[in-house]
Formats: sequence, C-alpha cells, structure tokens
Amino acid sequence: MADTMSLTAPYTDPGLGAALRRAERPNRLRALALALPALVFLLVTFAAPIGVFLTTAVRNPEVHEILPQTTVALEGWDGQATPGEEVFAALAADLARARQNNTAATLGKRLNYESPGMRSRIMSVTRKLDGFAAGPLAPQFIAIDAAWGQPDLWAIIQRNAAPVTPYYLLTSVDLGQDAAGGIVRVAQDQAVFLDILGRTLWIAGLVTVATLLLGFPTAYVISLAPARIAGFLLLMVLLPLWTSLLVRTTAWVVLLQTDGVINQVLLALGLTSEKLQLMLTRFGTVTAMTHIQLPFTILPILSVMKTIPAGQLRAARSLGAPAFSAFWRVYAPQTLPGVAAGCLMTFILSLGYYITPALVGGPRDQMISNFIATYINRDLNWGMAAALACLLLFMTLSIYLLFLRLVGAERIKLG
Amino acid sequence: MWLPAYATRSERLCRLAVVTFAFAVLVFLVGPLFVVFPLSVSKDPFFTFPIEAYSWRWYADFFQNARWTQSLWNSLVAATFSTALATLLGTLAALGIARPGFPARKAVMALMISPMIMPVVIVAVGAYMFFGPLGLTNTRTGLVLAHAGLAIPFVVITVLSSLSTYDANLTRAGASLGAGPVSVFFTVTLPLILPGIVSGALLAFAVSFDEVIVALFLTGAEQRTLPVQMFSGIRDQINPTIMAAASLLTTVSIALFVGLSLIRRLRRG
Amino acid sequence: MNTMTLERRRLDEAPPLTSETMVAFERVQKTYDGRTLVVEDLNLTVRRGEFLTMLGPSGSGKTTTLMMLGGFEQPTSGRILLEGQAVERLPPERRDIGFVFQNYALFPHMTVAENVGFPLRYRGVRGAEAARRVAEALAMVKLGGLGERRPAQLSGGQQQRVALARAMVFNPKLILMDEPLGALDKQLREHMQVEIRKIQQNLGITMVYVTHDQSEALTMSDRIAVFHEGRIQQLSDPVTLYDQPENRFVAGFIGDNNTLSGDFLGVEDGFGVVRLADGSRLLTTGAAGIPGSSVTVSLRPERLGLDNGTRQGAENRFPARVLDRTFLGDRVRLTLEAFGDPSLVASLPAADGAAVTPGGIVTLTCRAADCLTLTR
Repeated sequence: MADTMSLTAPYTDPGLGAALRRAERPNRLRALALALPALVFLLVTFAAPIGVFLTTAVRNPEVHEILPQTTVALEGWDGQATPGEEVFAALAADLARARQNNTAATLGKRLNYESPGMRSRIMSVTRKLDGFAAGPLAPQFIAIDAAWGQPDLWAIIQRNAAPVTPYYLLTSVDLGQDAAGGIVRVAQDQAVFLDILGRTLWIAGLVTVATLLLGFPTAYVISLAPARIAGFLLLMVLLPLWTSLLVRTTAWVVLLQTDGVINQVLLALGLTSEKLQLMLTRFGTVTAMTHIQLPFTILPILSVMKTIPAGQLRAARSLGAPAFSAFWRVYAPQTLPGVAAGCLMTFILSLGYYITPALVGGPRDQMISNFIATYINRDLNWGMAAALACLLLFMTLSIYLLFLRLVGAERIKLG
Repeated sequence: MWLPAYATRSERLCRLAVVTFAFAVLVFLVGPLFVVFPLSVSKDPFFTFPIEAYSWRWYADFFQNARWTQSLWNSLVAATFSTALATLLGTLAALGIARPGFPARKAVMALMISPMIMPVVIVAVGAYMFFGPLGLTNTRTGLVLAHAGLAIPFVVITVLSSLSTYDANLTRAGASLGAGPVSVFFTVTLPLILPGIVSGALLAFAVSFDEVIVALFLTGAEQRTLPVQMFSGIRDQINPTIMAAASLLTTVSIALFVGLSLIRRLRRG
Repeated sequence: MNTMTLERRRLDEAPPLTSETMVAFERVQKTYDGRTLVVEDLNLTVRRGEFLTMLGPSGSGKTTTLMMLGGFEQPTSGRILLEGQAVERLPPERRDIGFVFQNYALFPHMTVAENVGFPLRYRGVRGAEAARRVAEALAMVKLGGLGERRPAQLSGGQQQRVALARAMVFNPKLILMDEPLGALDKQLREHMQVEIRKIQQNLGITMVYVTHDQSEALTMSDRIAVFHEGRIQQLSDPVTLYDQPENRFVAGFIGDNNTLSGDFLGVEDGFGVVRLADGSRLLTTGAAGIPGSSVTVSLRPERLGLDNGTRQGAENRFPARVLDRTFLGDRVRLTLEAFGDPSLVASLPAADGAAVTPGGIVTLTCRAADCLTLTR
C-alpha cells in the first residue's frame, strides 16, 4: 500500500538534482562546445566593438589627461571665487606641455561643447604662453580674456576633470548641466535631439502602419490562393527581400526624381498638372522604407494565416455570423501573433535605417543613424555619436526583448 | 476569386476589391526591382521612360573602369570568405543549439540573432573603432570578420530549421548500427541537413555582397566594395553606370534566390 | 520451441545472474528534470533468447528504460549489465544492440540496401560478403529485390521490414523495438506480430519489445513487464498476467475488467469472503486481506454467466438488472446493475444473451476462482 502511494506523490530527493546534473554534464558541455566558436566570434567581432563604442558616451579623458596638474590644483577649490595663483600656474604648465604634444586643440574642442568660446580661449592662451612675464599669472590670463576670472569657467574645467561625464548622454536627450552641476533643459535653439528621436520613432511608426495596411490584405489573398498561384505570389514577396537594400533605394531615387517615372505617370494620367517634389521628402522616405520593409511584415502574418484552418470561417458562418463579423471576430484575432511578429520586426529594423533616409530623404528626414554617422564622419565627435547610439540601442533592444517575449528567437524564419 | 460557394454578392465584390488591392501591392513590391534593368540599357543618360534607344555603353563603362571592376572583385572576395566563415561557425552553433540539454538556449539564441536586428550603423562604428587599434580597418580581413558576424544569424536560422525537421532517431539509429558520432554526422546528419546549410551559405553571401554601411566604415579605397562604390556614386551624382551596377547586383541576388528556391524544392521532392 | 517451454517453466524463479541472463537492470533510476523520477527503481533481467515485452501507458517509463538499454539515455543512477558487463558509459555504437525505432528511422538519402548494409560497414564486412548478408536479411523479411528502392518509395509495412532487417543483419546480441508496429493499420499489425515472433523464435534472438497495446503484448511475448508510473507492476507470462493480476492497475490495464470494492471479512472453506457495498457476500480467491480491510475484487466480464442450470461449480450467484445490451456479433455485452453498482459488465456468448432484454432481472453466476481479491 505504501508503495502504491509513493507512486502518485511527486518523488523529491535532494540528491536527485545533483545526480541528474552529473549525468547530463557531458552532454551539455558537448552541445555548448559546438556553439562556443560562434559565440566567442560574435563576442569579439560584434558585441565587444559595440560595447567599447558605447562606453565612449561617458568617457571624458581630455581634461584629466591634458591638464593633469590643473586637475590636482583644482581639487581644493571651493568654486566661489577666482582660483588662486597656483591653479593658473598649473594650467600654464599643462598648456605648455599640451602645445608640445599638439593636444591643446583636442582640449579646446571638448571644452567648447560645454561652453562656446572655450576653444578660442584655450588656443589663444596657449599661443601666448611664451609672452607671459614673470610674476603672477592670473592677471595675465585675465588680460587675454576676462572669462578666466569667472568661477563658472573654472567650474566647467573642474567638473570635466572627472574621467566620466554625463554630458553626452544628457545632451542626447536635450538636457545639460548648469554651473552648479544641476540637470537642466538646454536652450530652445540647441534642443535638437528629442526632435530627432521623435522623428525616428514617428517614421518607424508610419512605416510599420503602412506595411501592415498594405501587407495584411496581401498576406490574406496569398493564404487563400490555390497552391500553385500562392507559390508564385510568395516569390513576388521574397524576391525583393533578396535584392540589395541599396539597389531598392536606388530604384526609388530614380522613380522619385522630378523627371522620374512617378511624375511622368502622374502627369500622363492628369492627376497633377505640375511635377511634384518627391525626392528629399518625408513622403519619399516613408514610401521607399515601406517598400523595403513590406516583406518583413507580410511573411510572419502569412505563415500564421496558413495555419488557420478554413473550417474556422465556415464554422463561424454556420453559427450565424455574417461574413465581415466572422472575419473580424474569428479570423482576425487568430492572426495577431503574426501581426505582432511582423510589426515588431519592421519597427525594430526601421529604427536603424541609414541608407534610405540618406539617399531619399531631405535634411528633416534624417534619422538617428544618420546623425551617428555624421558625428563620426564630419564632427569627429565620438562621445555624441556614442550617446545617440546608446539611445538607439536602448529603443531597439527594448523592442527586441518584447519581440523575444512575444515571438521568440527560435520562431524567426527566413522565407 | 477563391471564394467559397456560399459567398453572397456583396462578399464577391468585397473579395474582388481585396484581391485587386493585393495585386497592386505585389506590383508595388516587385516593380521597382525591375526599373533599373531598362534604364541600364538606355542610350540616354536620363532616367525617363519610354526609352528611345538601347545601348550597352553603361555596361562597357562599368567593365572598363578599374574602380568598378576592382570593387566588384573586392565584393566577391569579401563575400566568399565571410560566407565560408559564417557557414562554418553558424552550422556548428546550430548543431549545438539543436541538441537536447543545450544550456541557456533562449539567451544564446537571442545573442546569436541580435546581429540581424542591430542598427547597422552601430555595428559599423563599433567595428571601425574596435578594429582600428588592431590594424584591421582598411583591410579585407576586418571587413570579412564584420560581415561574417552579420551573416551568422542567417546560417544559424536556416540550419536550425533544417535540423527541426531532422529526426533525432536517425542519429540514434546510426549509433545503434555501430557508427561513431563522427561517422554518423558525416554519413547521416550532414547529407540530410546540407540543403539547410547551403541555403544559409547563400543568404550569408547575399548579406555580405549587398552590405553597404559596415563596408563604408571599414574599407579604404583599395578594399572598396561594389555597394560602397554605388553609394558614393549616388550621393555625388546618380549616373547610368550606377544603373548597370545595380542591374548586376540584382542579377546576382536573383541568381542566389533561384538557387535557394531550387534547393528548397529539391529538399521537399 | 524447446527453449520456449524451458523458459515457461522457470517463470516464477528469482532471476539469478547466470549465463542465461542477457541484460540486468540493477536499481536503475532516471530523471529528466531532477525532481520527478521517470524510472523509479528498476530491477529487471532479460534472459537469453526470450521475447520480453515492456507494456504500459505512455509516460510509464517503458520507452525510457528501452532508451537506457540502447544507450541513448544515461541512467541517473544504478547499473545496467549486458552479458554481465556494466554498459552505462558505453556509447550505443559499441553495445552491439539492434534497435527498431517507432518511426523506423530509415536513412532517407540511402537505398534500402545501403540502409541494411550500413551496420556492416562498421564491422569490417565489405564487398560480396556484405551484399550477400544484405540480400539474406532482406529475403528473411520478404523484401528480396527491393534493395535499390528508397525508403520513401516503400509502404509503411515494407519500411518496417527494412528497419527489422537492418537491426538484425549484423547479428546483434539482442534487438530492441520501440512500438515498431504503431504506425501500421490493424490487419498489417497483426500480420507483422506473427512474423516478428516467428523470426525471433527461428533465430533464437533475444528481443525486448515496447508497446502500449496489451493484445500485442499478450500475443507475442514470453514474458511481459507491466510498467506504470516508473515501476514494474508485474512481471510474468501472458497467461498469469491475464488470470492473476497482482494489483488493481494490472487488473484494469490488461483486458476488460469489473472492479468491485468491498471489505474483506475472512477466509471460509478456502475462499476469501468479501462484503460488497450493498451488503451481499462474494466468495473470492487471491490474496487474503486483513479481516475488515478494504479490498478490490476483479472480475472479468466473460467469466460471468447466466444462471441457466448448466453452470456447475459456480460458487457465486446473484441477481442483476439489465440496463443495456449491445450486440457484438459473436458475443453480447450487457451492462447491469448489481451489488448497488450500476456499471457491472458481462460478456456472454451471443446465443446465451439473445433472450436478455433491457429492464429485465437476471441471475448471474461466477466461480470464486474468477473473483480475484486485490489488496494493492
């Protein structure tokens, strides 16, 4: 009797888990060993580079590397009055070395982010170092530029003596620090980043909605078509996916030209009396992106639709539901997993667009990725590029996590 | 079209509208891909229709210009090597992940797939910054490594999908009949998942061959790839030679796609 | 055939570790999740030359046991001896055991002959010798001449035969089969049962067979191990298993069965007396319970008869109301109310049952020997 009872009770034994792990360990290790090369490879060539890049968003090496003595001298400063002579002396010594090492410009550029005019102040003092007379240096600094007497200026130097700065990250969301170090909104004319962020989200959202509106009925028709025709229609969805993104963008550049095909057609049909400006517009950008993303939205929806048995709609109809009602209340809800997968994927990918806005969009259609590239290529401002990258990555990963939760990485299919 | 017998008149009209709409969307999808072909053989350097006269001059331009031919060669080389690397690493990884008892499968998959969804600019700048001190920028090696990373998820996904239809009992059967793990892999598993591996390799090739942004950051004039050459061309002044290049790229894509479709059919049949 | 009768005689002996022993499981446990045991505490020996079936519902641990013997799963603890040697750490390819899988696991990219020849490659048998043995094996399963086909070009039954040929061609120590007939239709399945049994007896191979189909097990086996919830509930030959189930699970799992609950009163004239729910007394055989304890009486439907005076020696006689009558061709199945239980089932020869009509009262008889008291 006791034996029979123990059969039904869940068998729990503290030693059992350990025994299982011991027995399973070789299998687990063997499985892991197979994936290890790819994992290590991705960590080294993919994750580590991104990680290192992102850390530049908070790295602040300039002041404490180029002005080491000043950094030390400012440690005791109370921030209230003009610092003492020893600080000026330290700065002069640091700048002299900076001139030898050609690092003064780097320093000037960094401090200029915080307070416009700092670059020229640093550069002019550095140039004039040789002309300094013996005796107290403070008055001579102030003679070159009265700002050297202001505590605010020294506060900036003191604050940036730390090897880590919140400056770039704050700036990327239109925030800054006042002289006391408090977080404040930046002036209206400098507040551009929230606009870029909002625009990126807006364009990605528009593209997602557009692909859904175009893609859902298309997927539905493909799922209904007889097998042979459906196969052909599916080819029409897959083929663009295989064509280079650049080629597809190029095609849109050509189509959207003022003398391009679309304007020709519109004129010929009498839909417009004059040629429309389509290139370098938001409309053009969203159209091209929608074209490129459409297969990503259609395919998951289609694969879900294929699994919904035709009997479902028949059953709904036989139970008395009118056609539209049957579709909306029985069929449509079952497509939701596909809709979620397709839309999330399109939204994630749209957030990171670079090529298409760069070639088809105007200045007001550039997305975060374009600004990241611009900060690297034109401004050589790695910190700002990294801060924007953090922002973009944060949004992308949030939605990716949602995607993993709702859909799962194992369910991604390719055609 | 494709209506149940019980459909009412209004339903038929509605269905007709939906089908028409879907076909319009499909034309929207495919149409732009084929715009480049006629323009690439137009005699005139304007991108207008109808085309007055045909000529191969833009292709001649392409193949006589060392910049274009060099970039085509660079693309082929980079794509070949990154495909080889990604296929090897991705296949091994998929074999591991598919095994029962693989630890932290979800997390590992999330990481393996992430290159697909990562904004490419971030990948590109990261690689540019990280590879610089290692002397890998402006080298083909650097480009191959970065492209292989981007292509691995495609291989992992296709091989995993072919493994999901692979019956684990076949491996057991092989073992019970006396074949060791390595023999079983080469005589039983590999032949059966080969279509998946080849599909993955084709995708990996396409990923590398079409990629612009990473190549833009990692290559100098000597390693410049075809898409990069095209991209700078479009930025400067779009010209018909670019149409010839785009047509070539599209042809390669379609060839890869047809190859893949044939493999899929073969696997099913 | 001789071996078989020999085996039959020894069924109830404790299994000694002799040269007669092909496989021995010793205190084997298996868990997949570290919390619940799929196999609880398995002690089982398989004798040389016997056909042993592991029978049980799904999830009872029988397939896991087979997989451990095949080397595809490792026991979490315990030992598995193959011809006296511990094999828990021995990989499957070195165990020399033929395995027939549920879905056959034929290699789809190889021809039938290549499939059957596969194990020979790893045993150094090549060329003409290999071809001869492949042809022999295929002939044995009546597939001569189909060697060049692909598995996909064969019917389910043919594929099954290929799997069998492939598992036997290298003369393994024993052959394991995991529900090998599950995918076949009823007629073909019954045909294959006979054929597999014939091959096994002709060649004297040891076979361990897993199925959830009790009639398959009863038809084919020398001995049957009934699995339930990770334990062997009973290990005996088919006849004993059917006539003398040792506990309620076995009684209910093998064949149709009426189970009646009651209290064990004591032993009278060599029969156990059980008082049923309505107070009536039933004379039974089987395990003697502690007087006053609850027991279950197991009674096969076909062992019930109508009291028409012809049934001699039936110790039990009781009235029952006929609730329903189903005609089954050769037999009639009655649902009856008796002992306050409205679900008693009796199965009578069609001729006996012809006169019975629902609503009527009949008197039923059964022998005490057919009323089995179960205390577990």
